[in-house]
Amino acid sequence: MMEFKLPDVGEGMHEGEIIQWLIKEGEAVKQDQPIVEVQTDKVNAELTAPAAGVVKKIFFSEGDIVEVGTTIFTIQEENDVSVPDKGMIEEEIQVVQSGDVKVNAEHITTKQHHEVARALATPFVRQMAREMKVDIEKVKGSGPAGRITESDLKQFKENNSITLEDAKHHDNKIVQEMDQINDAIQAKGVENEWEERIPLKGIRKKIAEHMVKSVSTIPHVTHVDELEMDRLKEFKNQLKEYSDDKDIKLTFLPFFVKAIVIALKEFKTLNASIDEKTNEIILKNYYHIGIATNTKEGLIVPVIKHADHKTIFQLADEIRQLAAQAREGKLSIDQITGSTFTISNVGPIGGMHATPIINYPEAAILALHKMEHRMVVRDLEGVIRLMMNMSLSFDHRLIDGVTAVHFTNRIKELLENPIRLVVEMR
Amino acid sequence: MVVGEVAVETDVIIIGGGPGGYAAAIRLGQLGKSVVLVEKEKLGGVCLNRGCIPSKALIHTADQYQRLNDLGKMGIRLSQESTTMDLGVWQDWKAGITSQLRQGIAHLCKENGVTVVKGQAAFLSDDRIGVETDGDFETYKFEQAIIATGSRPFIPSFIKVDGEYILDSTSSLQLQEVPSSLSIIGGGYIGIELGMAFAKLGTKVTIIEMANRILPQIAENLVKEVTRNAKKLGVNIKTSTRVEKASVVDGHVHLHVSSEEQGMEVVVSEKTLVTIGRVPNSEEIGLNRAGVTVGEKGHIAVDMECRTNVPHIFAIGDITPGPALAHRASKQGIVAAEVIGGLPSAVDSPNVPYVIFSDPQIAGVGLSREEAEQQGYSVKIGKFPFSANGRALATNETEGFAEVIVDADSHILLGMHMVGADASNLIGEGVLALELAARVEDIALIMHPHPTLTEGWMEAAEAVLGHAIHIVNK
Repeated sequence: MMEFKLPDVGEGMHEGEIIQWLIKEGEAVKQDQPIVEVQTDKVNAELTAPAAGVVKKIFFSEGDIVEVGTTIFTIQEENDVSVPDKGMIEEEIQVVQSGDVKVNAEHITTKQHHEVARALATPFVRQMAREMKVDIEKVKGSGPAGRITESDLKQFKENNSITLEDAKHHDNKIVQEMDQINDAIQAKGVENEWEERIPLKGIRKKIAEHMVKSVSTIPHVTHVDELEMDRLKEFKNQLKEYSDDKDIKLTFLPFFVKAIVIALKEFKTLNASIDEKTNEIILKNYYHIGIATNTKEGLIVPVIKHADHKTIFQLADEIRQLAAQAREGKLSIDQITGSTFTISNVGPIGGMHATPIINYPEAAILALHKMEHRMVVRDLEGVIRLMMNMSLSFDHRLIDGVTAVHFTNRIKELLENPIRLVVEMR
Repeated sequence: MVVGEVAVETDVIIIGGGPGGYAAAIRLGQLGKSVVLVEKEKLGGVCLNRGCIPSKALIHTADQYQRLNDLGKMGIRLSQESTTMDLGVWQDWKAGITSQLRQGIAHLCKENGVTVVKGQAAFLSDDRIGVETDGDFETYKFEQAIIATGSRPFIPSFIKVDGEYILDSTSSLQLQEVPSSLSIIGGGYIGIELGMAFAKLGTKVTIIEMANRILPQIAENLVKEVTRNAKKLGVNIKTSTRVEKASVVDGHVHLHVSSEEQGMEVVVSEKTLVTIGRVPNSEEIGLNRAGVTVGEKGHIAVDMECRTNVPHIFAIGDITPGPALAHRASKQGIVAAEVIGGLPSAVDSPNVPYVIFSDPQIAGVGLSREEAEQQGYSVKIGKFPFSANGRALATNETEGFAEVIVDADSHILLGMHMVGADASNLIGEGVLALELAARVEDIALIMHPHPTLTEGWMEAAEAVLGHAIHIVNK
């Protein structure tokens, strides 16, 4: 008998929530077959069977929070004959004996043919399905003898606007969360209709813990400055045709990443962390930039690894991909851990300045705010410029206010003069 | 590679100008791609130059020749002089047909901006191809490539095709005289088609087949009529028989054959034709340099978009696993071209029709009864004999029948097969019906023109439903 203990699938995770069992007790499983979905630090992990065999016992229900190292299920390996399970074998024999074998066999073949047979549709409808990126085998036909019509396809597409692969996973999750909320609301009854109580759990709980840890450990100081963006905008516009040719949607973010990386190389304490156990400052010579991304499930920070080795276009492409994966809840642990500095790009939503909380154990975080035309004074004259604020929160244990200002000044210099940015890029 | 060489750049390069390759080239041209089509021999490939077209020209000629014998029954009296066949003249006629078709393809390629290069192509890497033409060597750099090098007759090691006594399908279609006797190794569709044609021209034909019947890939009930007719034509069919040795003695071929029934015997004939299958032309084109994986039998596996394991290199036609048929190659060629052109195209149908120009012809699409039953369908079958069809009687072509195979639960058509006159043309209705996922009622309810052989499909469909008009429904 093999005990399966909840492993530490994230970096330093302590507990996980059982989201969904994908098998039942007594079910035979193959090696590496997905067994259980566990929610860990901001992502869902699918844990697989360590060996082929029969799942003997499941110790936790869906929704339970389990500490790392606790046995969550046991599995009897295929070649493990030491403890024969009488009950199971008898049950199997009974099944065979009770049914007419011949009838069963026929039943199975008929069933198989219905699975084998391909969806009924004309070549044109098949072509249409490909154009609409619809898996025609999943569409239910309303035509004669189950033939799939053009309108069946259209209806299917409308009902499944999320891509096919994500649909199941995503829908399940949303439904589950909604159920939890509804259950919670029902549980409180009618007497408290002026307030709602929802259990703090899952991703929201993780975020809460993380924030408390960050703020209670790191003495936060926030410094705000403003940037003039006209030249960068013009520079970006000049690149538009080129980026369109490459089929890349170019935003400001890759430029910000580049400027920040250049500045981080010069102000090493901003790309650092403190090891509290050993009382050492760790200066990092690699630049993994976290991009705080808003998703339905909360704030997630996908990480661009080795941002200093990537071109503007590579960054643009990677940011787009990571953001899409984040929104679909498809990021792996590896993609959301290991950042050395974090950017919070809240500009698209709005806001003037903020006091961003550092992504523990990093040394600083930079929030970028809304870009807008403002009246500013240049050469003693009021002029209109495209302005953007940035708020830098930094760990005052490591970084002095002067260093922080020098750091943002450097970013400002690079972004306000894109030619300098280009010259300094590697 | 020569230092400083300059590669000609093109969007797509296609190796092989057969029915798959040229269709792909023309479609790519339509989609605005720059295309180089490399062909080492003649445009049109095996199909046009050595296969489908020349063999059908011979089969038609043989039919006409034989038909003269039947004319007396209809009251036509020919002059007393006996009919003769001049195969030399026939060769010129055939050359005219193939050359006209080749010119047509060349013209279409030109009009669609396709550059046709004559030469032997081989991959140098996954984005370069070298083409050797009469000692010159040119390199081409491509974004995508389509491999369409086709197949050639398989010849077992103990036989050497010399083109004079021992022939393959190619050289058999280049004969200048009708041989007095011909032994054919292999009773597949090429052996049967050519064997029956030569028999009609007066050749004494012997067919030697290892399986226990001719056309072993085709459902047995369809083959019966052909076997009977072949025997009527004087074709000697030896089944369950294998050839052990072949030698040329005094201007005749001696085939040592053995079977359980007859033991060892020697078949002597003027010429021997070897048609026991085809092998893909996947050697000598440097596939390893491009990283393209080749299967055990020399085929290149592809997905529904005709992509090989190297995503920007495609393969189509006989070089891919599946039946070696020109129409399959053309379809794959067009799909590969459209995928390269960014269109959502795919070879997504299991319905590959087959046509055998035996006498009578056999054609079909979809599942045979056995296949349908193996796949777990409960099957209903409807059959209608040509002998009950007015047009068949009026043209003295009463052999054969139409057969429809239907899923008993849903009445969806699973297969349509025919043996009989003009089955090759009539199967078009079957292909359309299966592709449109028609029910057997759809065929039965359609008004079919009278008097034609197409009524056979309608009657067979009605027979499934138990109400055929021109036969007794049991």
